Amino acid sequence: MSEMAAPLTPAQKSTDQFEIRDYLRLDLFPHFLCPGCGHGIALRALLWAIHDLDIEKDQLAVVSGIGCSGRLSAYIDANTFHTTHGRPLAFATGLKLARPDLHVIVITGDGDCLAIGGNHLIHAARRNLDITCIMLNNEVYGMTGGQVSPTTSLDRFTTTTPLGNQEPGFDACALATGAGATFVGREVTLQTTALKILMQEGIVHRGFSFVEVISDCTEIYGRKNDLGSSPEMVLSQKRSVLPKFDGSAVDKPFRAGNWDTGVLLRKERPEYYEAYRAHCHRVLGDGKSK
Amino acid sequence: MNSTAGTSAVRPAVMAAPTNVLIVGVGGQGVIMVSKILARLSQLQGLQVKQSEVHGMAKRGGSVFSHIRFGNEVWSPTIPMGEADVVLGLEWAEGLRWLRYLKPGVGTFISDTKRIVPPFSCRDRQHDARHGYANHSVAEIVNQVPSAFAPDATGMATQLGNERVANTILLGILSTVMDFPVESWREVLPEFVPPKTVETNLKAFEAGREWTTKPHAPDLNETSVVQHAMPTSRREVNLEITEAWCKSCDICVKMCPERCLALDDHQIVELVKPEACTGCRVCEWLCPDFAIAVHVSSVPIVANQAGVSTEVSA
Repeated sequence: MSEMAAPLTPAQKSTDQFEIRDYLRLDLFPHFLCPGCGHGIALRALLWAIHDLDIEKDQLAVVSGIGCSGRLSAYIDANTFHTTHGRPLAFATGLKLARPDLHVIVITGDGDCLAIGGNHLIHAARRNLDITCIMLNNEVYGMTGGQVSPTTSLDRFTTTTPLGNQEPGFDACALATGAGATFVGREVTLQTTALKILMQEGIVHRGFSFVEVISDCTEIYGRKNDLGSSPEMVLSQKRSVLPKFDGSAVDKPFRAGNWDTGVLLRKERPEYYEAYRAHCHRVLGDGKSK
Repeated sequence: MNSTAGTSAVRPAVMAAPTNVLIVGVGGQGVIMVSKILARLSQLQGLQVKQSEVHGMAKRGGSVFSHIRFGNEVWSPTIPMGEADVVLGLEWAEGLRWLRYLKPGVGTFISDTKRIVPPFSCRDRQHDARHGYANHSVAEIVNQVPSAFAPDATGMATQLGNERVANTILLGILSTVMDFPVESWREVLPEFVPPKTVETNLKAFEAGREWTTKPHAPDLNETSVVQHAMPTSRREVNLEITEAWCKSCDICVKMCPERCLALDDHQIVELVKPEACTGCRVCEWLCPDFAIAVHVSSVPIVANQAGVSTEVSA
């Protein structure tokens, strides 16, 4: 049985120069994402956070589901796992329980995480297993042609809502908070350094960490809704956020264009793997805990 | 008023004209705190005090000044030019800026030699930019003003363990040129500083008083602005653009604070104004396609190449 990964210390070093190509599978480049897609910026922030935390590639496992976000794991030169739609958290749970020595990071999208994988999200958060879930929220199913997603804002046009979306969207951070996640944060891609620090804190946090990245889908969502080119989209995202520090995620109703960003929740609760092992140890006694 | 009012029996010699003290500095240094201490001290001596200030420059770097006038009878709250008995500068350039308010030949000039270079005095946005900070050496000023004290108060304060008590060190020096009994200073000081720092502040006060007892030749090497304005190395920035990866999304072009990128005929990004690039890395961070890498290196430069600062705007 492997030992739990040693707790990471929040990186003392903070580099502004790192060779991102050391962390990429260069033969797959240029990547498949559309021009101006915020997912690329989020991927940089994640790799930067990993670099500053000094995590060995062999100690890193990146799990992703289906969708534009799901493809990101393929570009990372580490242990990566491209799983079925909505199930990256389920695969990651199994992976973390079998190999607790790995740092398991899940990259998922809004549809992947909140619609098809909604159940897996709430139960992963409930268990509080030491996984970092990075949800890239671009408010739309981009890869399948621009269908409405659980986070699409009101009155936005998608291929399945030709008259404008009338379903209220999810506040993913409030959902994760309610389900029991112990670290919840949100950031926009334009604030790359803040996003990197947030991801870093999420990875360091012992327990289920949920990081929502406000990303942009220029080609499919932005164009249909006349949201402008990608620079305009990332700037308007930045304008509509409300930075917060360790506040409560649920004290404000979710409205499009009024996101709280920063660390929204940070609390301590027994980590599932350690609690489970300790329990087995108590019940079965020494040497039989396997 | 508290029990210290008892000391009011010791009064400075009757003053026909009010004593004028001008306290200047930049936001965050404690100009207002220092002037409050002085005002309270004067009140305890039974004197009339008027104080007038410009504040709200809490953002570090903004200019802050405070006029204090005290005496048996004070009418106007502001000090006319050339009438200040003491100019107390918490920052070197601010001290120099207000030097002309000092009573010529009579007034006392006290200033920290700490230099805080305001961003807006920089000539360009490159790192190690040339700047228009005062280029007067300490010796030059001290030799011009008959009664001048120019300690490296911030350096002394750092040695005491808290850079922020530099203002109290200067107060200690001020206490040696004012008529107030030294016990009053020691009693008033703790009322205005944060409770946790009372001990350090009292130490700093004594350090300031002690500094005046020793002869001081201004240390030219330590505070030479010319040295400060001449960096020994320069940042060289190289942008590595992987053209095959660029998808013409325009983010870097629109986000570059120096507007030094553009899309070429093939809609691929190129560096059009390399001389304007400061190496801030915004394009590198925001490129979703990892097509831009910013390489910053330090290149040594020969002397006399860097610009020389011009004099302070007064």
